[in-house]
Parts: sequence; C-alpha cells; structure tokens
Amino acid sequence: MKESSAGGCGTGGSLADDDPVTSRRAWRSRTLAFALWLCALATPAFGAADPAKVLRITFEVAESGFDPVRVSDNYSATVNEAIFERLLTYDYLARPARLAPMTAEAMPEVADGGRTYTFRLRRGIHFTPDPAFGGHPRELVAQDYVYTFMRFLDPKNRAPYAFLLEGKIEGLDKLAAAAKQSGRFDYDARLADLEAVDRYTLRIRLARPDFNFPYIVAHTSFGAVAREVIEAYSGQTDAHPVGTGAYQLKQWKRASKIVLEANPGYRGFTWDFTGNNGDAWDAALIDAMKGRSMPQIGRVEISIMEEFQSQWLAFRQQQIDLLNLPSTFRTDAFGHDDRLKPEFVDQRVSVYSFIAPEIIYAYFNMLDPLVGGFARDKIALRRAMILGYRLEEDINVIRRRMAVVAEMPVPVGVVGHDPAYRSINQRDPALANRLLDHFGYAKGKDGYRTTPDGKPLVVRYANSGSVVDREHGELWKKSMDAIGINLQVDVAPFGENLKAAKACKLMMWESAWGADYPDGDNFMQLLYGPNTGQSNNGCYQSAAFDAFYEKSRTLPDSPERNRLFLEMSRQMEVDGAWSLHLSRERRWLIRPWVRGFKRHPILHAEWQYMDIER
Amino acid sequence: MWAYIVRRLWQMLPTLLGVVLLVFVLFNLFGGDPAYVLAGKISNPEQIDNIRRQLGVDQPYYVQLGIFLKQIVTADFGASWSTNEQVSQILVTRLPPSLTVLVPLLFLETFIAIGLALAVAYVRGSLTDRAVMMVCTVGLSISILVYIIVFQYVFAYKLGWFPVQGWGNSLWENLTRYALLPIIIALVVSIAPNLRLFRTFVLDEINQDYVRTARAKGVGENRIMWVHVLRNASIPIITHVMSALPSLLIGAFLLERFFSIPGIGREVILAVERSDFPVIKALTVYVAIATMVVNLLADLMYKAVDPRVQLK
Repeated sequence: MKESSAGGCGTGGSLADDDPVTSRRAWRSRTLAFALWLCALATPAFGAADPAKVLRITFEVAESGFDPVRVSDNYSATVNEAIFERLLTYDYLARPARLAPMTAEAMPEVADGGRTYTFRLRRGIHFTPDPAFGGHPRELVAQDYVYTFMRFLDPKNRAPYAFLLEGKIEGLDKLAAAAKQSGRFDYDARLADLEAVDRYTLRIRLARPDFNFPYIVAHTSFGAVAREVIEAYSGQTDAHPVGTGAYQLKQWKRASKIVLEANPGYRGFTWDFTGNNGDAWDAALIDAMKGRSMPQIGRVEISIMEEFQSQWLAFRQQQIDLLNLPSTFRTDAFGHDDRLKPEFVDQRVSVYSFIAPEIIYAYFNMLDPLVGGFARDKIALRRAMILGYRLEEDINVIRRRMAVVAEMPVPVGVVGHDPAYRSINQRDPALANRLLDHFGYAKGKDGYRTTPDGKPLVVRYANSGSVVDREHGELWKKSMDAIGINLQVDVAPFGENLKAAKACKLMMWESAWGADYPDGDNFMQLLYGPNTGQSNNGCYQSAAFDAFYEKSRTLPDSPERNRLFLEMSRQMEVDGAWSLHLSRERRWLIRPWVRGFKRHPILHAEWQYMDIER
Repeated sequence: MWAYIVRRLWQMLPTLLGVVLLVFVLFNLFGGDPAYVLAGKISNPEQIDNIRRQLGVDQPYYVQLGIFLKQIVTADFGASWSTNEQVSQILVTRLPPSLTVLVPLLFLETFIAIGLALAVAYVRGSLTDRAVMMVCTVGLSISILVYIIVFQYVFAYKLGWFPVQGWGNSLWENLTRYALLPIIIALVVSIAPNLRLFRTFVLDEINQDYVRTARAKGVGENRIMWVHVLRNASIPIITHVMSALPSLLIGAFLLERFFSIPGIGREVILAVERSDFPVIKALTVYVAIATMVVNLLADLMYKAVDPRVQLK
C-alpha cells in the first residue's frame, strides 16, 4: 500500500519539541506546529472515511478490554488491531502471509546474522487526541515502542504474550526480576539492547539470532501505546485505548456493543495490493478496490452475539453484513452439493472460504507410566490409538464437513507447511488392532485389552465438558471401544485441566493451537522438550526432535529449514506423541454491498482495507 | 413488631457468615485456579506465581477469608480478575438490562397466573379445568431452550414482529422493542407451573366453611373469589412470589444469551467459567442478603394480609 501525508496542510517533521519553551521563537514555533496539527485533524485525512459507510459485524465471545499488552482473547485483539499500530504488519492479499511496514518506513535493517534489528519510523504519525496529552499533539516516536516493549515484562501487566519477548533482549528480564522485588518496573532504565537511537530510530539487539523477530513485532499486542496515557489511566488502561491506527473507540458497552469510528487524523493509504497470481478472488478484489483512498468505512459496529442461532438469524435479517458461518448452520446455507443455496445466490451473497492457520490435536502425556515413554510397546499403544481414532467422523459429523485433515503440525498457510507431506498415521482401526495384538495387549473377558504384563489398561481422557468436548469424548470412547481400549472421559474445568497438563499429570487431552505468527516455529515449539511446563503440555522430550528444532532456530526461512520441519513432523509421528487431527475451515458469507473483504490468516481487523457500497 | 424486625436483622449475621464460609470453601475446593487461564497460551511457573500473588490466592486461607469479610463490610469487591472491570460497575451496568426483562415478567406472570388460577379453580373438574391443566403439563414438559429457539425463529425472523436480537440505549426502547419477545417467552414458560401451583392454593380455600357461609349470606361470586378466597390464598402466593425475588439478581442466562441482552445472567456464567471469584463472591453475598431481607418482608406481609398472624 502507498502511504500518504494527511490532508493538504502537511505534517512533515516533528511537531512536538523536547526543549523547554523559554523563548518567544520557541513559543511561536510551538503555536505554529499546534495550528498545523489542528489543521491536519480538521482537514479530511487522505482517503477520509465516510461516516455513512457503516460495517456491522458480530463477535461470538465478549471482549475483555483494550490494553494491547494485557489482552489474550482474539476478540479484544481484533479491536486493538484497528486502534494500535505495530512497526510491521502483513500485506493484505499476499499468501502465504508476508510482512509489510506499518509505522516503520521500511522493513528493518537486519545485522549480526539476525541479532540486530533497526527500525526507522515514519514521521508525522500522531496518537488520537486525549486529555492525557494536555491538549498538545503527540507524535509517535521510537521511545513509544521501547516503552511498549518494556510493558510486556512488567509483572503488573500479567502480559499473556510476554513469552514472545522473554529471554530475547539483554537487560529486559533483569528489569522484570527487579520489578518483582521492588513492586515497580523501572521504565526510565536505559537498555543498550532496546534503544531509541534517535526520535525515529529503534534498535533492538537480541540475545541470540531470531529470524522470526519481525513476525513478533507485527503481533497485535505490540501496538504502540503512549506512556502518558497508560500512566494517566493506570488501572483502567483496558478502557482507554489511545492509538495511532485507522480507527478509534467511540462507544463501548461491555459484552454488548463496540463502536469504532475512523480516526480523522489517520494518514491513510491507497489500495494498491497486488494479490496472488491466478487467484480469482484477488483479481475481483483488485478490480473493485484498486486506487481507492483508504480507509473508506467510517464506522464499525460490533455486536456481541454468543449464540449461533442469533448470529445466523441476524445475518438473514440483514442486521449484520458479514458472517463467519457457524458450522451448525452449514446445511442451512449450503446444499448437498456444497453450493450456496439459491435463496442466498438471489440475494447476491458471496462466500469466502479458507483453512484457518491452526491445528487441533490430542496429545499423550509422554511422562505418564501407562501411555508415556519410548518403550516399543508404549509407542505401539499410542500409535494404535491414533490409527483407531475415527477422524473422518470428527470432520464429517462434529465439524460438519468444515475442516480438513492436518497432515503435519505446521498447518496450511504457515511457512514450513508442505502440501505434499503425508502423515504415516493414516486412520486404520484394523491395523490398530493388529498392532495391539502384536505387542501383547490381549483382550480380556470384558472385551477390553490389558497391558502386555496383564494389568488393566484404562486410558483417561481429559475433557472440559463443553458441547464440542463432550462430542469428542464420545467419539474417542467409541473409537477406542472398537479396538478394545477402555477409555474413560474425565470432566474437569478447563483451568484445572490446564494446570494438570502443565504439571505433566494429564494422561491425554485434546487441544487447539492457532498461529500467533505464520511460521512453523510457532507450532513446532509445542513439541520442544525444554518447553515442558510452558507450551509443551504433552511433556514430549525427544533428543532427536529437539536437535532438529534447535537447528531450525538458527536458520532463516529456507528449504533447509523446511526440511527440518518435515523431519520434526516425522519424528513426532514415529514417537506417537500427538494424534494430529484437523484444521477448521472458515466460511464467510458476505452481503453484496461489502467490498474488498478477504480474510487474512493472521490479521483480524480487515476493515481499513474494505469498503461499503449500498 | 420493631423488636421482631431488629431480632430478625440480627439473626441475619450468622446466616450470612455461614454463606460466606460455604462460598469460600466451595470456591477453594472446586473453583479452579484462575491463574492458569489468565496466564494465556504459554506460561511458566514464574508467571503463574506472579498472577497468583497479584490475585492474592497465594495468601493463607485465613488472610483470604479476612479480605472477603472486609469486602462485604466495605461493599467493595474490587475488580474482576478476568476483565479488570470493577465488580460494582458490573452490577450497576448489567442489572438494569436483566431487570428490564424480569421485573415486568414477575408482575405479569404473577397477576396472569392468579387470574387464571381463580378462573380454573372456580370451574374445577370441568372440561375447561382439565384442558387447561393438560396444556400446563405439556408446557411444563418442554425445555425453555425449545421455546427460545422456536419463538425466535418464528416470531422474530419469519414473521418479523420482533428484532431477532439486540439491546438499545433507552429503557423505553428496550422495554417496547427488545425485551418484548424475551418477556413473552419467559411468560409462556413460567405461567404453567405458577398456574398449577396457585390453583392448588385456591382450591385449598374454595372448600372452606367461610366460602359456604359467604355464599349463604348472598355474597356475589366475584367478591367471594377475588376478596375472600384470594386473601386467604395469598399467604402461600406471597411466599412463592417473594422467594422468586432474589433470583432477579442472577438474571436469565439463556434469554440473555440468545437475545444478546447485556444482563447479569451472562456475567454469572462467565464468572463461573473463568473462576472469577470477585464477581462470584459479590453476587453470592448480595443474593444471600436479598433472600434474607425478602424473607423478612414476606413475614411482615403475612401480618398485613392476615391479622391473625403473630410475629414472635
């Protein structure tokens, strides 16, 4: 996208001055700068959004708040993405996802073999006005990112994405440790490795090379905040989002309605994405949108609708313009041939479908005395269970045919995914039975198998009791009954299961992982031995896998690294660490007046790239 | 009577203490550890400890209980663990939408059920009485979920008489537009059990000697039913209605979810799912207090309705 300066007044250069105002000249210069800033705000920004263009959408789960560092749910993050700007973002159309500058002038300069990153900020980007700025214009500067990065490690913030920075920047973890002792994080500390070199230059030196670091700074939680705002609303930062992004929060009725309005001071851009060769959807989008000044949509209204029926009926009643179709209603929208029903075709509803960059899998506790370990009979037991699981029933019945088989831990649309890769654990209950027979898991009088040494074999499958969880519990039970394994479903609250999993005390649990960034590393780290107790909830510790993983971390995106991802996938399968299941398909139903929509695998808020034409 | 009221108020203290202890023990035994959920996708033991320290759940139980008691005395339950919103703010903003649905519902269901109960009791044993009771039994057998799904589809979507979902900014708009269908559904669901119950209360009275005496004296049937019978049947009706009042504080979860009403019912369920103890604590304590106060009011109303009742 081509960036442009705001309006006709021009805002080039710094508007705020660090020097004290002591002379008349300085006073004049400040007055002039403030007048210019007001002028920029008063003048419609480049591509000024039309307040009459209202996009109405829905969230199925209530948001929790709008402090980017404190948020972990996707729904709050979606809103934050529209309000706060990161140094980098993603190209709207490019697939696989490709990074692009956001507040940075260009992609970072990388030095020291992936250890040092230098970002140069665009000039003239301003936060939306807020009383915390004392009536002065407030330009975004490199120090704001230093402050934003520091907030991740401030224990007070309980940042759920702190793991993205932990151990990465020299001195930052020490500040966090000191804050735990003193109760106060020293934001004034100067860190040589996290430094605002000048007003617009940010230099970060990592403890070790990390070629994924640009992905990390593009994560929604890295949106720049202003220290004045955070300190002015201390304790209530969730409710006072002040950013530099295309939209600002206008109205918020918690768990009910969120209204965003276009930020009048936003710099804007021209829609000139190039798309992917041969992609008809992209071609149509480019045809419709190319050359438009963005953003166009002046107002985004988000209603919280927790029930699928409410979402579905609201879409049919045209109360919302865009619907992420709940799988429950697939057959209401699509016929047996999986084509949109004539009723919707007549209404010129269009459909955008894609496979989410996620995996759903069940893991075994590799430290469990019954199902864990690397003895041949234990591996055979796990692999027999994997082979025996009726995955097609999961996809066709529970997911209502809105999912695809995940062949490897790196899902579709993520760097490192190989569409030609095929898992060795193809579902085959007959083979599972033979495998169990071969390794001495004999069937008793009750039809259930015993361990090779004749002890009862009862596998305990953890479950949190939600509707989908219950369905999965039943499917696992049915699948295991068919191969003579006595599987018992233990229901407990999600938090309790998580606690037990992190302590390696759950025998087996089903889990989902969505991409934080579109790189295979984000998925493979789930199996890395030293991450046991953090993200490796199956407590899988394979020297072979860990060696592949450690090697992959030293490499940039390359065929060599992709080969390592394949090796890791195979190693995990051979060990039977996971029963890898599926990735869900998302289908969006789109009203004809919505233009420019294409779901991005990582970004959540596409509104600034879209238009409404009623 | 004042001595009675003061004594009853005084007796509330040990009851409330019992509720506090019960909630505290239950939460700590079965409530789950919120730190693991709050920590996000990837966490380490240090982060978990940090969260537990900030929430205060790392403190000895007696300290946590002391904090709970202090919160009750100061009526300040702090902020939600999951959203950081002040609990008082949650109650202030979520209760009005719930009450917008539940208060009209309470009045309507009570008066309609009383009217119908008197009518069917008057023609007891007739075809009408049997037909109404059969309809009530069928109605009782159907889950509220079915009513919600069918009514929302038919009356809101197909016929377009009501909005499918939503909530406005003014009480009038909500009452006349968004709350109507939820009220109607709740009314359909609640009328049947109330009607059956109130009918039995009325039947208990309708065969009493005073009714025969009134008829012998030539008192009109309307007056017998609406004044004499109703007054004597009103004590169990008052008990029933008053016992329903505290439930206003916990909203109507399913209706709120399906119709996107930002009420307290959704908050209660979310708080339980998220182990959000400050919200659970506040609601439990307020419901307990409301129950005790309402019971006291019910006793006072017995006296007002029937002077023979002695308050001791």
